[in-house]
Amino acid sequence: MINQLRLEFLKLVRSRSFSVSFIALTSFVVLMLWGFYSYAERKAGEQVTSQFKYTYESKSYFNGLTFALYSVMFSFSLLIPIFVAMTAGAQIAGERQAGTLRMISVRPVSRVSLLLSKFLVVAFHTYLLVAFFIGLNLLVGLFFVGWGDLQLYPGALNLVDEPGKLLRDEALWRFVYASLSGTWALLVIAAIAMLFSVLFESPAVATVSTLALYLVFLIIGRVEFFEHLRPYFFTTDMDFWRDVFKPEIPWQSFQHYGGICGAYTFGILLLALTIFERKDIKS
Amino acid sequence: MLAKFLLSVLCLSMIAVAIKTDPSRSRSVLGSGSHEGPHLRLLTWNIGYAEMEDDSRAHTKDLRAVADTILSQDPDVVGLQELTGPEQLNILLSYLHKRYQGFVAPAGNSDRVDAVLVKGGGTRFETFKAEQKYAVAATFHPSQSAEVVFVSAHADAFKAERRRVFVGDVVDWARNRPNQSIAFIAGDFNFELNAKDESHLYTDNVKNDSEAYSYLLKYFRDLGRDAGYTAVDDRRIDYIFGPPETVALRRAEVLRDAAVGQMDHWPVLIEVAL
Repeated sequence: MINQLRLEFLKLVRSRSFSVSFIALTSFVVLMLWGFYSYAERKAGEQVTSQFKYTYESKSYFNGLTFALYSVMFSFSLLIPIFVAMTAGAQIAGERQAGTLRMISVRPVSRVSLLLSKFLVVAFHTYLLVAFFIGLNLLVGLFFVGWGDLQLYPGALNLVDEPGKLLRDEALWRFVYASLSGTWALLVIAAIAMLFSVLFESPAVATVSTLALYLVFLIIGRVEFFEHLRPYFFTTDMDFWRDVFKPEIPWQSFQHYGGICGAYTFGILLLALTIFERKDIKS
Repeated sequence: MLAKFLLSVLCLSMIAVAIKTDPSRSRSVLGSGSHEGPHLRLLTWNIGYAEMEDDSRAHTKDLRAVADTILSQDPDVVGLQELTGPEQLNILLSYLHKRYQGFVAPAGNSDRVDAVLVKGGGTRFETFKAEQKYAVAATFHPSQSAEVVFVSAHADAFKAERRRVFVGDVVDWARNRPNQSIAFIAGDFNFELNAKDESHLYTDNVKNDSEAYSYLLKYFRDLGRDAGYTAVDDRRIDYIFGPPETVALRRAEVLRDAAVGQMDHWPVLIEVAL
């Protein structure tokens, strides 16, 4: 199994999608920095503060932690899932398309260990992506925007019901927690992509199907017509990862939604494993 | 086989965790303080109609039902929004059997006015300008309590920037009452704070409402926070704000069976111990 894991990891690192994912995330951080910087300059200017008696968008509000929080929040639901789906969707279907799946399957490696090692590598890649993205945002925030406490307000980002604050060190820990909770939430997408990778012949179809399913639920969940269905969408449950940024982490709800995400991940993985074991590999 | 068994166990244990930690527990506002004193019931209600109607202001034919709700809930003070003018207030007061005193704000450049009703006599009414609109306030003395100031206000429905300025003016007026006064601000503030359900990620509208609401919370407490949505489309846009510490919340309820005709808001009822 360890050998299998090492091989799968090497394959992943050498794949083009691996480097593309990190390059794309870095580009996003650069764009965010440019947008944040110009917005902060405009909004913290004297003209705005004299127009309104009260604004929290002051120079102390715009700091590296606020930058990192906004960047992570904005990218989590729409950007990072693309790379997770891309990597996971290519695992089995990619081998099939390359003509190597049959060969791998005739080696003395069980299909179970093949699929599980591939999933573990995808999970590791997901964590690397999230941790890299958070770390990069914090570093960029520190060097280009500056440090301070993390101030939270109702409405924007929808994290708190009343104004709150996380002190700098505590906020940094919360980003560490977010790398774990974010990875756990994204594993649902990884598991779905693995299932589609087993079902479909082409990695492109597996990736697009995963993203289509994810986006359909994400979009429908925001349409009022389907408000009563929202609690049943896995995309709603995935949102639990953000709770780590609340001044008081709601542990009960955190565990509840984390548990549901875990059930989705392991349940879908079990289904993928069952299908993969019985699948006739002809290519 | 072992892998499948392990995955099944993991899946089932996750389901067990989710069931055991289900956060949908009932929350009680009754235990929010040990403070016991005279109780005060406050109610706010935008009695106007949904936007698609020809005249979205309050309809005189509904005032009987509005009066019935007020009489059945027996609030000490009521804030009403979107009345057409003093005529409607007089009709409402007559339906209330003169148990309440009332006052309307000037219309200003709007076609609808805010009103405030107070049970009993000895109330001082005043109006003040906030942004381009007027708000109305009542000052009265409940028995065995400090002076209470109650503001009825209605912020702009369309421009968050105007709402922010309006809120700033109302808050500054209310917090500058004499020191012993207990101030409440009630009304339809039209805040769009639930940004999670919006298709965009961050806009000036969300930020303006966020800042306006944060400014209110700097000096006041959102007493109806746990009472749920107050208008159609699951929007919580009607609020009663009170002092953060000097009152204990006893009840917070949205009366969802009270609306009649094409009304798009429900009354918010708050009971506090002073």
